[in-house]
Amino acid sequence: MKTNSSLLALAAASLGLLFSGCQTNEVKQVDAKATQIINADQISPQEWAQAADKLVGSLLTSGILDKAPQQPSIMGISRIINNTQQQVDTDALVKKIRVALSQSGKVITTTTVGLGGKAEDPLAKEAAEYNAAMGGEKTVVQMPYWSLSGKLLEDKIRQGSSTQITYTFQLSLTQVKTGLAMWEADEQISKVAKRSSAGW
Amino acid sequence: MKPRPLNGVFLGPLQSMKSITLVAALAALAFTAGCQTENVNTVERAAPNAQPNYVADKRVVTDASLAGKIQVLNVSQAIVSGDHLKIQVRVENKRNHGITFRYRIEWYDAQGMIISSPTDLWKTHQVQGRESGVVEAVATSPKAVDFVIKIQET
Repeated sequence: MKTNSSLLALAAASLGLLFSGCQTNEVKQVDAKATQIINADQISPQEWAQAADKLVGSLLTSGILDKAPQQPSIMGISRIINNTQQQVDTDALVKKIRVALSQSGKVITTTTVGLGGKAEDPLAKEAAEYNAAMGGEKTVVQMPYWSLSGKLLEDKIRQGSSTQITYTFQLSLTQVKTGLAMWEADEQISKVAKRSSAGW
Repeated sequence: MKPRPLNGVFLGPLQSMKSITLVAALAALAFTAGCQTENVNTVERAAPNAQPNYVADKRVVTDASLAGKIQVLNVSQAIVSGDHLKIQVRVENKRNHGITFRYRIEWYDAQGMIISSPTDLWKTHQVQGRESGVVEAVATSPKAVDFVIKIQET
């Protein structure tokens, strides 16, 4: 009888442990520097960062930035076209490249000269204009020597139940003075998914 | 030996043996097809013109299984854009099928301090069966003088 009670208690404890291990709403912190989940129709920040790293490496290896007469040279950010079906924050994507290039000491990005006359930092632009007006001087805007433009592309190839999705990140660095693309590169992220996991 | 029904049809001993042999042959064929290798054949110059600047490296292996699959053959370095350290790690896949692994390169300054970068993160790399591939990186800071390469199985 005593043995039976002990066995019952042990079984109950085991069941308790089993159910506590099956909790579904488990949340844990993960390494932000490592991709934890791979999704076919989404690109993770880590995957973008990997592409950005390779593009920065390509730009530095090209040595083109050393050819600017002023060091560090000034770079403006032009249009980054998103031709994918994803909502991509192109600013966040380009920011990684900007920060890395800034860290290199080769390039400084202007925040007061932007596409269509729009400044990324309107306060800095207005403050410069105000200071110039108060001092009775003309506003001196440092114009970019380089312009960075790019495009995000998405290609899908289907065969049977499998789909290969390739995201391409193209970048061009144009010398403003000549209008010539002095450096160009692209980086691809490719994934293969079964139809059920891709959701098409 | 009494004939057994196979798919509702009675077969003699000889026919049964033939059927078994046929099924075994088909199974062997399917098994072989499933084990098709993805190895890579290569051709290169017998005496390469390039003279890489190899780095004397120190290795710490905590995952013997991974070390048995992905072998680091050599590490070479160069200076690009005037003052930026670039490294190239040649790895070889010891297996007969493609492997994806993760790697991370940390850069250190002359004082041994780690240099943080927006692009410093675990990256993935694929190598086909028996293929030797290259993982490369350029330090975004000109202050980088040293590096640590970490490799992990995905």
